[in-house]
Amino acid sequence: MHLNFMYIHLMVYSTELLKGTLKTIVLKLLADNRRMYGYEITQKVKEITQDRIQITEGALYPTLHALEADKLVKTEVEYIGKRVRKYYSLSPAGKAKTKEKVNELASFIQTMTLLLDLQPKPM
Amino acid sequence: MATLTDEQVNYIANDIRAHGIRLEGLQDNLLDHICILVEQGMGEGGEFAQLYAALIPTFYKKELYELEEEALFLASLKGPRLLLGRGRFFAVLIGLFLSPYLFYVVLDLLHALPVAYYAPPRVLLRWTCVGCVWPLLSLLVICFTPDRFDPLVPRHAKVLLGGGALIRVCPG
Repeated sequence: MHLNFMYIHLMVYSTELLKGTLKTIVLKLLADNRRMYGYEITQKVKEITQDRIQITEGALYPTLHALEADKLVKTEVEYIGKRVRKYYSLSPAGKAKTKEKVNELASFIQTMTLLLDLQPKPM
Repeated sequence: MATLTDEQVNYIANDIRAHGIRLEGLQDNLLDHICILVEQGMGEGGEFAQLYAALIPTFYKKELYELEEEALFLASLKGPRLLLGRGRFFAVLIGLFLSPYLFYVVLDLLHALPVAYYAPPRVLLRWTCVGCVWPLLSLLVICFTPDRFDPLVPRHAKVLLGGGALIRVCPG
């Protein structure tokens, strides 16, 4: 099921580069914003990254479903006329997981920076 | 911004269900997302039917229910699991069901040698071999079915053992 379109539609970065970071992105956004709904998340990512990363619906909603199944996010619904808007927020377990995932990604970026010699090595 | 009528919202909701989305949460999310995008398009002068027809294929590659499959797949990734390539998966299973026959042959060879050994009852081994025929034949058929006949495990697929589902085929 690992189809490219399922992950992240990229304006600049390759799909392979960002595979596996979507959960971290969503968790961090939910940590920084009290509660968000799907469309809002896609727009926030576009806004923050200045359109360089565009999360597709095909990537976002399966990820949100998985986060909910893992009890990392809580949901609440609001009725907009005939339709339901599902808001997501972090559960206590989700808050801990967010820190863990962000630290893991930051550490990975640091390692890649060293590995690819992207900054002067310390003397 | 334009607002969709109840009939239009119902139309989209029914179409999402008709596309094979059964998870209620996913239905709600997709309905809301699509409604927002269609309302934006209508606010810019677009027509509902055209906007919806153009929008819905952008959500998937082949079919909309791929989103549900992906959601279920991601949700199933819990606990110990093993992702095997197609070839390795079939090699393990075919090897497993072939092993009684090999064991039978080895016993025959040992029988010809003047050595003492513990031999399990032949009748038990014979019935084990008989019992393995059907699964072995089924596996061979599944393994060698060409892709054009829509096989259970297509070429380049991977097989996930464990997790929420016991066995899940993941297209490559």
